[in-house]
Amino acid sequence: MRSVYVAGIGITSFGRLEYPLAEIAAYPAMMAMKDAGLTEVEQVYVANMGSGRINHQTGLASAVVDTLSLTPAGAEVIENGPASGASALKQGMLAVGSGMYDVVLVTGAERMREVNNLDATDFIATLTHPLSEYVYGVTLPAHAAMFTRLYMAKYGVTERHLAMVAVKNQNQAMTNAFAHLQQRITIEGILDSPEAMTNNPYVAEPLRFFDCCPVSDGGACLILVSEDAMAGVDRPWVRLAGVGQATDTHAVAERTDPTELTAVRLAAERSFAMAGCGPADVDVAELHDAFTILEIAESEEAGFFGKGEGHLALEQGETCHGGSLPINVSGGLKGRGHPVGATGIAQAHEIVTQLRHEAGARQVDDAAIGFTCNFGGFGNNVVCLTFIKER
Amino acid sequence: MAVDLEKTLRPIDADLPPYPAKWVTLASGDEMVIRQVGRDDVSTLLAHVEPLIHVERDYYDIVAARVYAELLAYHVHRVQDEYVLVAQIDGELAAVVNGRQVKPGLGMSLHTLALRRGLRIGAHAFAAKMEYHIDILGHDEVLVVAESPIGFRRWMIEYQLEERFDTPHELGGVPSYALTRELFERARRKLVVGRRPVPTELLAKAQEAILPPTDPPTAPADLLAATRARYDTTGTAVMMQRRIQEQGVHDA
Amino acid sequence: MERRIYAYRCRSCGTAHYPFRMRCKGCGNLEFFEFDAEPLPTAGTLLTFTHVHNLPAEYEVERLGLGVVELEGGVRVTGQMDIDRPELGMPVSGSVEVVRHEPYEDYWGLVFRAV
Repeated sequence: MRSVYVAGIGITSFGRLEYPLAEIAAYPAMMAMKDAGLTEVEQVYVANMGSGRINHQTGLASAVVDTLSLTPAGAEVIENGPASGASALKQGMLAVGSGMYDVVLVTGAERMREVNNLDATDFIATLTHPLSEYVYGVTLPAHAAMFTRLYMAKYGVTERHLAMVAVKNQNQAMTNAFAHLQQRITIEGILDSPEAMTNNPYVAEPLRFFDCCPVSDGGACLILVSEDAMAGVDRPWVRLAGVGQATDTHAVAERTDPTELTAVRLAAERSFAMAGCGPADVDVAELHDAFTILEIAESEEAGFFGKGEGHLALEQGETCHGGSLPINVSGGLKGRGHPVGATGIAQAHEIVTQLRHEAGARQVDDAAIGFTCNFGGFGNNVVCLTFIKER
Repeated sequence: MAVDLEKTLRPIDADLPPYPAKWVTLASGDEMVIRQVGRDDVSTLLAHVEPLIHVERDYYDIVAARVYAELLAYHVHRVQDEYVLVAQIDGELAAVVNGRQVKPGLGMSLHTLALRRGLRIGAHAFAAKMEYHIDILGHDEVLVVAESPIGFRRWMIEYQLEERFDTPHELGGVPSYALTRELFERARRKLVVGRRPVPTELLAKAQEAILPPTDPPTAPADLLAATRARYDTTGTAVMMQRRIQEQGVHDA
Repeated sequence: MERRIYAYRCRSCGTAHYPFRMRCKGCGNLEFFEFDAEPLPTAGTLLTFTHVHNLPAEYEVERLGLGVVELEGGVRVTGQMDIDRPELGMPVSGSVEVVRHEPYEDYWGLVFRAV
């Protein structure tokens, strides 16, 4: 398979965007085309989960390819729940890597706030198993909460560790102009003060308000190209070197070990194998912290820390900006926001920015290899990406 | 003659015990003071509330318009037994809440208007109101209604308020609910938060002046954006967003 | 009529499945519907649980108890949990009741209580 490079990137502000979904997808695409200096696109992939259900728009990719005046290029929507973004990048990589195309545009977008919060929660809950989970009122926070309780019992993770992740990520987002949340928080405010229960109430015990990412609108885009096409682009060379994906049982109760995120482990292994490197080589990572517990668990399953030791690394400051493995310096899903279809691409956007050494105040020094983990459903479909800086 | 007319037009207020000021730590680490204000402070409050009447989203417009009217009515003595509490961070106005005593034993919550988002300030302010009614004013029951679905979810469902649909609420006869003393006791741990007394310096800063909020809710960038979003395919919405981005204006 | 929740046991290899899946995960049998439906046992152990406060619109309660239970025989299910002070590993027993109301439709499922 040929090498695949990132020629251009673009991203919108995340938050509340009162624009049509197709425009939220197109805006970062135009930024990416300007970034790369490329407008001859052969194929467009649009990562999105909710267009049909909450935005009343099907065939989204057909709308996006036209609004960008890229017809007659091929176009499809890629839907993989919250992992739509990385899945779309996987398709883009296959499209260029196979030799079928030289220039592929992969954009992701979600407009969750077109509907109210209850409908948005229900929309996400449709990821659960319809007969054995959804009917009970199970939501994604409920799954994350039940997982957290087991992690606390087995490994000694506490509410304080979760709060540390929340504070780290939400405050990191202050260095990211595109992030949804621009509000500093403190451990005292969300955990220690007598009023912490009102500031940070339970959403699904033991997960609390600040343990969960916000509901956001937003879009992000990467343009993937062949080596020949990259030669004509005046930007640093960042290669999408590895992609790995793995699935697991739909019903969470059926997982072999309820404290393991097997799909994360397998997807990470496959991504590293393809890229020809390992977790120890990674300089900067974007993990899927839709719930703070997931950052801790994913950091272990991806191989950065031993199983059950992710929270210890957090305590030591290893995962802060300036630590040995900075995780979610962009703010992560927690601080940057989580427009479901865009997230996987936003994670890649951050890694590419880091590897290009253009991240300003949140730059990780000498970043050369970056990793993302995009977690679909509740861990039943995970896609991991590895990026390597070449020149 | 004017004095006699005023006697007729003005209700006689009961001698209600004042709300003892308290303070809370917010998620941001900031300290917020919640205290009662009097008629003298109303004109300052009116100035800070007025801009929100023009924010046509999230029910800010209707809540702000009604709060404005209630503050004015309180100021000119045209409503009986109304109280106003404010929440301040570093002197800045963060929330205004109000309500009144209908008769001894029965209170009516009017409004909760938060001027800063993301720190559950509305939740703190609402809880302070309920504490005032039940613990300090000695009401057995407080009637509550909600304009916004979020308010409904937060208050009616979270506290399991009892239905009082046959009792019209002053805010237009919409279905009212009641927080009873029994419900309050069950939720006491959640409703009675905060610390007293307020440290001297903190209180002095709050009492010095009610400062305008630095980052209040604002109207959508383009009043038509929401509508345009559904029908506009010309891309003007994109151009607008770019212009706003370049000018550095952040969307809420 | 007492309602039961059914598991599906593969006729070739005996693996029990809940919820239903088209192809047996034990033997990979490609014959359609080679399963025997058998009622799930109602007794089990509470593996994990939560109380959810932010609920879908259909649930107008303050909080909802949910849990994952390992039933006798090894099948694990998710269900509602009507236990005030749950503990990991406690024995529970389930009964089939209405767990969700939607307009014109009631949905039935397992509700677990302490033994």
